[in-house]
Amino acid sequence: MRYEEIPDEWTPPDPQPYIEQRDLHYYLLEPDAYDQFVVTCEGGNPVTIWQNTIPHPTKLQERGRWTEKYVQWSPLGTYLATIHHKGVALWGGPTFEQIMRFTHIDVQFIEFSPCENYLVTYSPNALINDQGHLIIWDIRRGEIMRTFEPDSPTVWPTFKWSKDDKYFAKIGQDVLSIYETPSFGLLDKKSVKLMGIRDFAWSPTDNILAYWVSEMKDVPARVVLMEVPSRTEIRANNIFNVCDAKIHWQKSGDYLCVKVDRYTRCKREKGENKYINMYYNFEIFHLREKNIPVDSVEIKEPIHAFAWEPVGLTFAVIHGEAANIQVSFYGLKSGHKPVLLKRLDKRQCNTLFWSPAGQFIVLADLRNNGTLEFVDASDGTVMNTSEHFRVSDVEWDPTGRYVVTATSNWKSKDDLGYWIWTFQGRILSRNNLQKFWGLQWRPRPPTLLTAEQQKEIKKNLKKYSPQFESKDRMRLTRASKDLIEKRAAAMKKFEEYRQRTRAVWDQQKGKRLELRNNVDTDTLDSDTHNMEEEYQDRGLSSTVQISTKCPTYVVLPT
Amino acid sequence: MKPLMLHGHERPITQIKYNREGDLLFSSAKDHIPNVWYSLNGERLGSFDGHAGAVWCLDVNWESTHLMTGAADNSLKIWDISNGKILASVTTLSTVRACVFSYSANMAAYSTDTQRKQICGINVIDCRISDSFGSYPILQIPIPDYKVTAMQWGPIDETIITGHEKGRICQWDIRMSKKVNEVDGHQGSINDMQMSKDSMMFVTASSDHSAKLFDTESLMHLKTYQTERPVNSAAISPILDHVVLGGGQEASVVTTTSTRVGKFDSRFYHLVFEEEFARVKGHFGPINSLAFHPDGRGYATGGEDGYIRIQSFDPSYFEFNFDF
Repeated sequence: MRYEEIPDEWTPPDPQPYIEQRDLHYYLLEPDAYDQFVVTCEGGNPVTIWQNTIPHPTKLQERGRWTEKYVQWSPLGTYLATIHHKGVALWGGPTFEQIMRFTHIDVQFIEFSPCENYLVTYSPNALINDQGHLIIWDIRRGEIMRTFEPDSPTVWPTFKWSKDDKYFAKIGQDVLSIYETPSFGLLDKKSVKLMGIRDFAWSPTDNILAYWVSEMKDVPARVVLMEVPSRTEIRANNIFNVCDAKIHWQKSGDYLCVKVDRYTRCKREKGENKYINMYYNFEIFHLREKNIPVDSVEIKEPIHAFAWEPVGLTFAVIHGEAANIQVSFYGLKSGHKPVLLKRLDKRQCNTLFWSPAGQFIVLADLRNNGTLEFVDASDGTVMNTSEHFRVSDVEWDPTGRYVVTATSNWKSKDDLGYWIWTFQGRILSRNNLQKFWGLQWRPRPPTLLTAEQQKEIKKNLKKYSPQFESKDRMRLTRASKDLIEKRAAAMKKFEEYRQRTRAVWDQQKGKRLELRNNVDTDTLDSDTHNMEEEYQDRGLSSTVQISTKCPTYVVLPT
Repeated sequence: MKPLMLHGHERPITQIKYNREGDLLFSSAKDHIPNVWYSLNGERLGSFDGHAGAVWCLDVNWESTHLMTGAADNSLKIWDISNGKILASVTTLSTVRACVFSYSANMAAYSTDTQRKQICGINVIDCRISDSFGSYPILQIPIPDYKVTAMQWGPIDETIITGHEKGRICQWDIRMSKKVNEVDGHQGSINDMQMSKDSMMFVTASSDHSAKLFDTESLMHLKTYQTERPVNSAAISPILDHVVLGGGQEASVVTTTSTRVGKFDSRFYHLVFEEEFARVKGHFGPINSLAFHPDGRGYATGGEDGYIRIQSFDPSYFEFNFDF
């Protein structure tokens, strides 16, 4: 239809007015490097963006009904995505203006590509409007790049992106489909056939992906590193007796750890495999060394959590039976086997939260009491132990200076809200919000400083720290002065009020005396005559009807 | 602090009150028999046997001669404190929810619940009519919408302040027998109202997790004390700028796992700054009623767990000061 009325003569299109790009990175220029976080309350009413200033956070933006479902920062922190019934909106810039809108009815999940070029959205009901279930959008143009129809109920995220947005891949039955951008077609026009592929993950720094295939009859399970786009296997490791494996890349891409759940015997029972005498291996791949050597650490106890230090060469594991949960820290060195650095016994925790800057870690018990331990992993000292009852989430700020522990409404109905701590475990504020949904720190892009520059700064920390300390002291003095002024003002106002009521009270004195037979009861001892009587009355208690039950009272120690 | 733990009731405590001098502490519970205790040592002085239902409220007159109790047996009783005998019994058509003596104690007011076909009402009796003790109300005000849940007299026998379901607060002029003022003070039921020592202000405790301070004359809202649990009772210190709040998660929804979930502590707030500065643990159910000793050197709490705890303050309580 569109093409039926094509005018015979071509007219050049009208030039579009120039729209100035807003500064989307203004928040990175904050001189004190204060971080931002977004707090969502029930039904997105309100959504508040805070700046974590010292000593109290500052409210930057607050909007009622900003979202209908939830909000999400983009991976580098440029955009805030709000999810609505009709689709997704992106906001950014100093005043959080709308940057782009993506119409996808009933959208449920969204996923950004790592460099914020593309957005993947998923809606279970999109077919009503002839939209696809899965849509990949170009963020800057707001256009659909490709739609997908998943053939089976999918796990989210369906696609995993390579670090540079060049490739994205999804797993299927015995295949791994790798797509490339910007063509959005299959790499080499075909999927990779991999019998029994179970899971895969991209390296955070290189176009290498790791996948593992399960054991089949006499063929062992394999963990493989594959280079993309060449699809060459650069390293493969065969392991027997594997029932499950989890792939954990270290953030700097230097190491890969595959946690392998192994068994000594396997029984078929009622059509299900029953594994006996489980033990666990951590297969460590040294990617930066020649031929990629693999080390193995074996732990015979159940594993509860594993986490790489985001920068640095340490990983932490929670393991052990319920009676003695242990936390072990292992260190790596090129050309060496992993060494046990420190082991903490009898802990109450089930989850590990490393500081994004490394070294510090929070051991949290998200199941029971909400015990929190703030540990310096460099020497294993517990800096502080505290608790946040019913805690459901622990979130480090992107610089590793603050930690937020939160209780969201999916975990409990009461005590909702978030607490802010320093990295050393000193509580800064407790914020109770009756309809709290969640909190997310705004991510930061990777630093532009080179490793040498960072080293230089670390070396000269002593030189810089006095400046910051004096700045902090000034802020605190100002804050306590503010508080005292606020209190003084409140007290002054209240005293004025009290003087007015006092005048009324004084006026009513005559009336009061009249109502109580001229006995002055305004103060406790103004009615001395009566007091004497009362003391005598105590002797008369025999006339009072005493209950047959003996009075029982207990004096408790303080 | 060295608490005295009084275990004289078999059911949840509903209300506790000191007499004017503070040497006696009166308590009512769902177990039908109100008690009176020596506040100094926690010894039980006597009990008042006569009700046939849960006793919801009580008040003692300024001379400590008469005790008034209202109960679910549809009666309001006035007792002689010295011998525990019933002086008068007023039969009502529904449960008596709140009862208070006026400043002179010449009059008393009580409220009755909305029940079956009965609608809630505020009633005033004249206590000077000696033989029947004013068993016929001299004033009756029906309350068709939100029932009365708490009540207090104004300073000089002229007004009554009522707290209602859904947080409404009304002021009634007794001489004109009409409503003179009303405000929507809270978002939840008002569970308790207590006057300051001079009756110029009062504090309300509400299921909306907060307690608030109001001016008695104008019902102007002055301060808010925020918690995370329903507040069942609140009291103003007679000597310091302190307010104490008691409550906790409702008994019907308390999980059995831990008393921490319920937050059954008494919580102390600064009257003016609205900042919490102390908590006292002890009860293993919500606190239903609390009261300051008239000398301000201690306070008492009565809980859903059936215990009454009398606490006297440590010196550190009096040494503590806010900077301002």
